[in-house]
Amino acid sequence: MNLQIYLILESIPKMLTGLGVTLQLLFLSAVLGLSLGIFLLLMRISGRWYLSLPAFIYIYFFRGTPILVQIFVIYHGFPQFEFIRDSVFWPILREPFGCATLALTLNTGAYVSEILRGGYLGVQRELHEAGMALGLSKLHRFVYVTTPIAVRIAIPAYSNDFISLLKATSLASTITLLDMTGASRTIVAETFAPYEIFISAAIIYMVMTFFIQRGFGRFEKYMSRYVKP
Amino acid sequence: MKKFFLLATAILVFGAGGLVQPAAAEKLRVGSECTYFPFNYRTADGVLTGYDIDVARGIMEIIGADVTFVCQKWDGMIPALLANKFDLVIASMSITDKRKQKIDFSIPYRISVGRFVGKKDANLNLFNKDGSPNPANFKGLKLGLERATTYANWVETNVPNANVMLYDTNEALYLDLQNGRTDIIMTNPMKAFLKFLSKEKGKKFEFVSPALDDPKLFGIGVGVGIAKDREDLLKRINNALAELIKNGSLEKYSLKYFPFAIHNENWEGVGE
Repeated sequence: MNLQIYLILESIPKMLTGLGVTLQLLFLSAVLGLSLGIFLLLMRISGRWYLSLPAFIYIYFFRGTPILVQIFVIYHGFPQFEFIRDSVFWPILREPFGCATLALTLNTGAYVSEILRGGYLGVQRELHEAGMALGLSKLHRFVYVTTPIAVRIAIPAYSNDFISLLKATSLASTITLLDMTGASRTIVAETFAPYEIFISAAIIYMVMTFFIQRGFGRFEKYMSRYVKP
Repeated sequence: MKKFFLLATAILVFGAGGLVQPAAAEKLRVGSECTYFPFNYRTADGVLTGYDIDVARGIMEIIGADVTFVCQKWDGMIPALLANKFDLVIASMSITDKRKQKIDFSIPYRISVGRFVGKKDANLNLFNKDGSPNPANFKGLKLGLERATTYANWVETNVPNANVMLYDTNEALYLDLQNGRTDIIMTNPMKAFLKFLSKEKGKKFEFVSPALDDPKLFGIGVGVGIAKDREDLLKRINNALAELIKNGSLEKYSLKYFPFAIHNENWEGVGE
């Protein structure tokens, strides 16, 4: 095996053309997925079965199927139905970017809601009671007492999911999107040098992960400022 | 003296007989894959047929030889030819420089072309009357291509400003064309016809360009493969192919499977 270092250096700039798509996919589906996750969490902890059961089924379904399958169902499966192609959603579903964002959002939403639930359940019972004793309303207790603590507890697990999401965006390359992996695969098909090119791609993903880790580390520190000395 | 006379007569008689007889029954063995529809394959009854097989029989008829077909797996095709398991390869083998180092090729009997497929009656006017592309009319159209194929090279060379979407499989091209995610695709017209246009799902679509050949991009095409030291036979095969082109046989063979001819009538590189 003769590793051509210059190919690695040469291909990195070309790959960075896909970085924009990767970042857009990541942040868009992270924000939408977080909103969906919060919504699902509220359904699950509502204490009403007709809200928590659908949320439970949804989470079970999206955690129980591979994300690649979800992407394929949305991208290749949905357009088989005439009514979907005629619907108002078609402009989004027509675009591979829309399909990928939708699939990633739906998937990460399911995981995030479970992560947040873990944080919520980690808040000690006594704090609820203390809030009650202070005469805070249910809403105030949730917003001012439970949430800050739950978020702090959930950060490490959430950063995990965020990094997973970064790598899941690479699956978008299977539906024609030229994200970083898509760009790499095109270069591989032209240069027949999979080893060098995919190593370069791996390096870029690792650099991104490094910054994401640092970011979450700081956020965690900030949220824990009243806990640790 | 008497003995010598006898011997001489015997040589004359046998020798002459030996000269007359085999000329009528030259035997050539043709290697083919026998599994590659619609070029060389067996029908449900086990009969070997297809475009390649028709071409082989056509050549043999003209040069007056008997043909036996030898079925050979693709990856061992050239080694088997070099090991003299058969005399010719007629198996949809593309003429490439790499293969030319090992074996010789006849003139192409099937050409490599690309063609655009789009919606019927869309009046896209992608090409001018003389067959040159009209880049302005590609604007605003989504063009589906297979990643890193010769077709992608063609588009990059001829309509670099096209809005391209890259696919991993040939099937995905047709799926997204059908779903309206792409407006046009460029691919192998034979595949497009067999897999898509001839089927129910493809009936709203048609070819929207002429057959685009560019030997620099697509290669020369498919030829008959032959060992390097048989220039005589190669010459006869080339002449036979030229005749098959002229008398319309090649077109007749391809019309059995496709609504269009798959050879190049104006091939000028005969004997190259």
